[in-house]
Amino acid sequence: MSENKILFNTGSLDELTQEIGKLNNVDESKLKLTPDNADSGLAKLVLTLVELIRKLVEKQAMRRVDGGSLTDAEIERLGETLMNLELKMEELKKHFNLTDRDLNINLGPLGDLM
Amino acid sequence: MKEMELMIYAILSLESDSGKLDSILTGIKGISGADLYSVSFNATTAIVSDINRTDLIANSSNAIAYAGVIETLAQQYSLLPMRFGSIMESTGAILRMLERNHPEIEKNLLKVKNKVEFGLKVFCDSEKLKGELIRISEAKTARPPHQTPEPQISVFREYVNKKLEAHKLEEMLLAHVDSVIAGITNHLDQLNAVCKFRKMVTETMIIDAVILLENSLKDPLIHQIEEFQIQFPGLNFVLTGPWPPYNFVETTIK
Repeated sequence: MSENKILFNTGSLDELTQEIGKLNNVDESKLKLTPDNADSGLAKLVLTLVELIRKLVEKQAMRRVDGGSLTDAEIERLGETLMNLELKMEELKKHFNLTDRDLNINLGPLGDLM
Repeated sequence: MKEMELMIYAILSLESDSGKLDSILTGIKGISGADLYSVSFNATTAIVSDINRTDLIANSSNAIAYAGVIETLAQQYSLLPMRFGSIMESTGAILRMLERNHPEIEKNLLKVKNKVEFGLKVFCDSEKLKGELIRISEAKTARPPHQTPEPQISVFREYVNKKLEAHKLEEMLLAHVDSVIAGITNHLDQLNAVCKFRKMVTETMIIDAVILLENSLKDPLIHQIEEFQIQFPGLNFVLTGPWPPYNFVETTIK
C-alpha cells in the first residue's frame, strides 16, 4: 500500500504493514495433500472439522451455563464431558503431530477458528 | 498458436468526450505492458487489453498492473472494477455481455456515481483491552466485604467456571466492538456514507470496514476519524483511500 493512500494512522507504517501481512498469510491454513502425506493431510482436515464442532459445542454450552438453565449436577456432567473432549483432542493432535496452529482455519467473516 | 482473448479491467459510462478516455488509455499500459482500448455498447464502455489466457498468472506484479489501470481510470470516471482475471474471447462477446447486463450495470454505475471507497481498519492490543473490560466489569459487580468463602468445588466445575469466564470475556469484547461500530455508523450516517463492517478479523484487527462516500467528503471523513481516535484512545484507527468501489458493486455478469 503506498503511503499516500494512508489518510490517517497514528501508528507506524511498519506496524501497519505487519498487520496487513497477517491477513495475507493464508498459506499455513491451506491443506497440502500429496500422495506422500495423504494420511497426515486427511488427519489435519478431519481434526480441524472436529475442533470446529467441539468449539461450537463448548460455546453453546457456555451460553446455557451463563443463561442459568442448567442444574448443578448438569454443569458437573457438562464440565466432565468438555474436559474429556479437550483431553482427547490433545491426544489426537499429539498422535498426528499437529498443533493448534495447524488446525486454525480462517472462517471468513467469523474470523479464525482459534 | 495461442488465441488472443480480451481482459476486462473495468466498466464505465462514457456520456461524452471519448477523446478524453482515449488520451488516458494511451498513457497507461495493462498487464504485460499491453495496450488498452475500449469496447462500447451505447454509453456503457468496457476497458480491455489483449491477453493470452495461458500467460495470465495471478502474481503481485500482474495484480498491481491490473489495479493500477482501474485506479488511474477511477480518478476520472465512476466505474465498476472487474474481478482480476475477467476474460472474454472476443469484442463481440463483450458487446453481447454489455447488452445483456445493461440494466444491472447502469444500476450499479448509478450507485457509485461520484463516489469512492475508503478502508477503515481499527487495531488494538486485544489482551490489554480484555484486561480493561475485566476491570470495568469487576468494578460494576464488586463484592461486599466479609463475604463467606466459596465452598469447595470439583475439578469439573472449576473447568466450567474457567471456560465461562473466557466466554464472558469474549462476549464483553464483542459487545465493546459492537458499540464502537454503532458509534462509527451513527456519525458516518451524517455524511450519507454506506458502510460494511467485519468484526474480529485477527487478534489485533477488531474492525475492518469499507466506506462508500461522495468524492467531495474526503476531508470531513478524515476529520471524523480524528474524532474517533480521540474518543477511543485505546484503539488505533487507520483510514486509507480513496479506492475504486471494489466492495460496493453487487452484480454477477451473465
